[in-house]
Amino acid sequence: MFWGKQKAAIAGFHPLHQALVWQRGFSATQPAAGWAALIASLHRHAGLVRRAKWALPPRTLDVLVPLILELCSDLGPKGTLTVAADLRGRDVPGKTGPSRDLPVRPPVRSATETLTVDPWLRVRAELRDGSILELLVVDRTRERRIAKRNPRGKYKAKRKSKSIQIIKVRRRLAKGAQSRVPAAPPPAWIGVFVREGERRSVLATAKLHRLPQSGQEQVDRILTVATEPFRWTPQAGTGQRSES
Amino acid sequence: MTPCAVTTGFFTLGKCGQMAVAGCPACGRALCADHVADGGLCPECAAARNQFGHPAAAAAYRRRAHRHRTAQEYTDVGWYAGLDTYDRAPFDPGAGADQDYLDDGADALVDS
Repeated sequence: MFWGKQKAAIAGFHPLHQALVWQRGFSATQPAAGWAALIASLHRHAGLVRRAKWALPPRTLDVLVPLILELCSDLGPKGTLTVAADLRGRDVPGKTGPSRDLPVRPPVRSATETLTVDPWLRVRAELRDGSILELLVVDRTRERRIAKRNPRGKYKAKRKSKSIQIIKVRRRLAKGAQSRVPAAPPPAWIGVFVREGERRSVLATAKLHRLPQSGQEQVDRILTVATEPFRWTPQAGTGQRSES
Repeated sequence: MTPCAVTTGFFTLGKCGQMAVAGCPACGRALCADHVADGGLCPECAAARNQFGHPAAAAAYRRRAHRHRTAQEYTDVGWYAGLDTYDRAPFDPGAGADQDYLDDGADALVDS
C-alpha cells in the first residue's frame, strides 16, 4: 500500500482536520476546548504528512488558526464558536456564475465577463458578554475575456481579472447592553451600519480592492474590521491599575 | 482571597479572577497558577521580554499589538486605553521590554 504511514497518520487526526485534508473545508460548532483540540491536531500535520497532495489548504495555519485562537478567548464558559471554512479556492464548480456578453465594437469581436464569488469563511461566536459575533469573508473575482481580429486576419485573445475581498462583521449586543457611539469614526475604508432594536446590531463592512498578500495581513484586515463593533460598547479596562 | 488580575479575552476584556498564588516580580500583579509565565512573570511582562513559552504570554502580546495597531488606524486612543496599565506599562519604553532602540551598547556611535 502506498503512503500507508501517512494515511494512518491522517486517520488519527481530529475529524475536522481530516475534513480539511480530504474535503478542503469544514463546518462545525463546538466550544473552545474542541477548537483547541483541532489546533493541536493541525500543528502535528507538518511533522507526519509530507505528501503535497495531502498538505493543509492555504489559509489554514496562517489565517484560520489565529482567528479561531483569538475568538475562542472571548467565548463564555458555555459559548460556542461556529466556523464554516471553504478553502477549496475559487476555481471549483459552483463558484463561477454564467458568462455575460459585453457590448463590443471592431476590431474586438467578442467580450465576455464572468464573476466568481468565493465565500470562504463564515464565523459565528457566542461571546461571554452575551453578544453574538458574525463574520463573513468573500473573495470576488471579475474576469473579462476579449477576442479581436486585425485587418490581416490575425486573431488575438486577451483576458484580465480583478479580485476584491469583502469583509462583513456583525455584532448583536446582549439584551439591555449599554452602548455608545465611538468618539472617533472608523477609517474611510470601513463602513458602519447600526440597527436599533431590542438588541442593537452593529455591522462593519469593508471592501478591499487588493487581496491581502500574506496570512498575517489577512488576519490583520479581518480583525481590524471586527474591531469596529466592539468600540460601540464601553471597554472593561478603565485605564487605571485595578485593585488586587 | 486575592483574585488573579491577569487580563483575558481579545475583544471583550475581563479578569481571570482565579485565586492568586503569586505576584509578578516585575509589576506586582497578582497571578493564579495558570498565569505564571516564564521566570515567574505575568504574561504581559513575559511578552514584553520576548518570552513566549507560555500561551498566555503569546496571547497577551497579540492582544496588545492588535490594540496598539488598531488604535492608531482608528485614531481612537480610548480603544488602546481599554487595556489597563498593568497590560500597557511593561511595553512602555524603559520598562524592561526588549526594545533594541533603547541602547545599542557602549561602543555604538549613537543609540538608534
